[in-house]
Amino acid sequence: MSRLFLRSPEAVAGTIILALLVAMALAAPWLFPRDPLAIVGPAMLPPFQDWTLPLGTDRLGRDVLSGLFHGARTSLAVGLAAAATSIIVGVLVGTIAGFAGGWVDEVLMRITDAFQTVPGFLLALAFVSVAGPSLGVVVVAIALGAWTQPARITRAEVLSIRERDYVAGARVIGMHPAEIAFREVLPNALPPVLALSSVIVAAAVLTEAALSFLGLGDPNRVTWGGMIAEGRAVLRSAPFLSIVPGIALVLTVLGVYLLGEGAVEASAVKRGNA
Amino acid sequence: MSDFRISRRGVLAGAAMLLASTAMPSFVFAQEPKKGGRLVVAADSEPRNLNPAIVASNGVFFVSSKVVEPLAEASFEGEDGLSPRLATSWEGSEDGKSVTFKLREGVTWHDGKPFTSADVAFSALQVWKPLQNLGRVVFKDLEAVETPDEHTAVFRFAKPTPFQLIKNALPALTAVLPKHVYDGSDIAANPANNAPVGTGPFTFAEHKAGEYYRLARNEAYWGENQPLLDEIIYRVLPDRAAAAGALEAEEVDLAAFSAVPLADLDRISKVPGIEVVTKGYEALTYQLIVEINHRRKELADLKVRQAIAHAIDKEFVVKTIFLGHAETATGPVPKNDKQFYTADVPGYAFDVAKANALLDEAGYPKGADGNRFALKLLPAPYFNETKQFGAYLRQALAEVGITAELVNNDSAAHQKAVYTDHAFDLAVAPPVFRGDPAISTTILVQSGAPDGVPFSNQGGYKNADIDALIAKAAETLDAEARTKLYYEFQQKVAEDLPLINVADWGFITVARDTVKNVSNNPRWAVSNWADTWVEK
Repeated sequence: MSRLFLRSPEAVAGTIILALLVAMALAAPWLFPRDPLAIVGPAMLPPFQDWTLPLGTDRLGRDVLSGLFHGARTSLAVGLAAAATSIIVGVLVGTIAGFAGGWVDEVLMRITDAFQTVPGFLLALAFVSVAGPSLGVVVVAIALGAWTQPARITRAEVLSIRERDYVAGARVIGMHPAEIAFREVLPNALPPVLALSSVIVAAAVLTEAALSFLGLGDPNRVTWGGMIAEGRAVLRSAPFLSIVPGIALVLTVLGVYLLGEGAVEASAVKRGNA
Repeated sequence: MSDFRISRRGVLAGAAMLLASTAMPSFVFAQEPKKGGRLVVAADSEPRNLNPAIVASNGVFFVSSKVVEPLAEASFEGEDGLSPRLATSWEGSEDGKSVTFKLREGVTWHDGKPFTSADVAFSALQVWKPLQNLGRVVFKDLEAVETPDEHTAVFRFAKPTPFQLIKNALPALTAVLPKHVYDGSDIAANPANNAPVGTGPFTFAEHKAGEYYRLARNEAYWGENQPLLDEIIYRVLPDRAAAAGALEAEEVDLAAFSAVPLADLDRISKVPGIEVVTKGYEALTYQLIVEINHRRKELADLKVRQAIAHAIDKEFVVKTIFLGHAETATGPVPKNDKQFYTADVPGYAFDVAKANALLDEAGYPKGADGNRFALKLLPAPYFNETKQFGAYLRQALAEVGITAELVNNDSAAHQKAVYTDHAFDLAVAPPVFRGDPAISTTILVQSGAPDGVPFSNQGGYKNADIDALIAKAAETLDAEARTKLYYEFQQKVAEDLPLINVADWGFITVARDTVKNVSNNPRWAVSNWADTWVEK
């Protein structure tokens, strides 16, 4: 699997990009121990002028490079946490609905429908405006719109798996239905959902950036979306303030997508070989 | 990068020259005011209630001051800094209990009815005093308005009221409404609040929500040969970055109230055909202040407040946040007010070491992590600069070991959090100094404001000395003695720091150079624009 995985160029590119980002996120507190929001130099210093501040400073004199590193932490943390939350919730809901069937299925799927009819971003926007911006709230807000897809896919998989012989066998030997659902059915229903995870992470990173851009991010943390918003006021005179975090954002989303693509391809090749 | 910009500017300039050369024959270099033409102005907000007699705020005045006129307008040259509008003269009595206004004759309302003293009496007693945000304070003792004839109005006060205050209040507080439109109706819900009827040089023509307001020339205006413009269009451009683009594309002729971001001024000032004007806001000074919730035990301690004042680098705020378009503040009266300002107040120089020492003295030593205590900081969302100052203040406080957690809200949530729920420790606010401390400044520190009144003392501060001083100044008739009392007021406020004044700023107008007579009075953006004209 891993050999196959590394044979696809997308996967390699994606892995490298993400590894770099993770390294950035992890190294941020060591390389830039100061608060990234601290004012460290003259305001609006252009990039490549002062080697202690290689990417220049923003409108208040805060280090852009430090912001970029610490922003990677926020972006990745929110992206992963939101994706994990939505996948866990989605998988649970999907498994219960698919395995239990009947009115439970009906109720859970109608709730899913209800969430799916509202655009995810709108939902996130409304939730953050009411609950007030903080990191936890942002994670929940993003997960709120993202759990429906994994729920639907899990349910579809579970519906086909629960008719298989080994499930019937498990019933015959007297296993508890919950045990069958989560130990026998769920693990086999997971792969297609995990393939979806890269899309969810990428969407979560973008949603977080969009929320911060609109001023609904946590103001006490550096986020790339917040940096872009901050730079927007001076877009004409200091475009680098928006371009630098913009590039970071594009690379992250690209990296996640490529990795997901590579994983899907590798698993398809493996299945084809088997 | 910079090469690219220069060449692009060159191209732009070249293109502008080309355009100009084709238009050359129609260019007439005469500075004689010309009648006719349309002025397109960028508007960044769309107030629903356009009645300046009820909502005395600059957002409303910006549009409605051209339609509804006050008794007098601020002026650079006029006596007392005023030039007559609907009143031609004003005189206060010795005992301070009456003021007599002679009103302009031959003025008609936009619907053709004559303007008389009954309109002034009605506006004062039924609108300014009971309904207006500022009039409630200034006209609180107004008892009656006598109208001996159609063109004389005598204001009678129950208690002596300083004539100086009334004069200073004339431009912003005395928009006169037509009695025949409002009488007998629910004034606050009258449809004329959304389509005002006045005596001004322009009539209200239409409002398309989200798009524009249109004002048309009042052919029957009392001013000789005024107004000069045919119409004024306010294009609604809520996005600040859009105003600069629209000016360059010649879609709008003028953007007031710093609609063009300060950071863009340097660039746009070099664009041919565009002028940056800093004059015309002298009587509209905004103050950047830190509001303090004195219910917090730490903040009730004067030493802590002094430490915070010492932790703020005012020069940095002026230079970096306002890019030089502001003045450092010493107290509750801005430096540009010649009548009331005194520099003789305790100062708080930027001194981190001293701030740290004061906090240690106050009994809040740094913990193991370098922090003393945590505060909730709510920057007002109304201006870019207030938000930026919030971000700066968080860092400035971190330097002295105070952890400030920023809380961002939209305007409605911010007002509720600060002025109704008091759910803040520090807040950043931009109150306006309106030419007299008694109009909207003393209310920031005076005790006894009911919950929910925005831009009032909601920090739970109570100082009997300052309250007594404010009360005494409110009934001191002699202008000189009254000014002295306000000197003392400034000293007391700077000494006890019920709030911290950081900087005072005016706004910037950016206009195409074809617009003439821009910024020729200290409240220009919110005056009537009767003499404004466009060169064609």
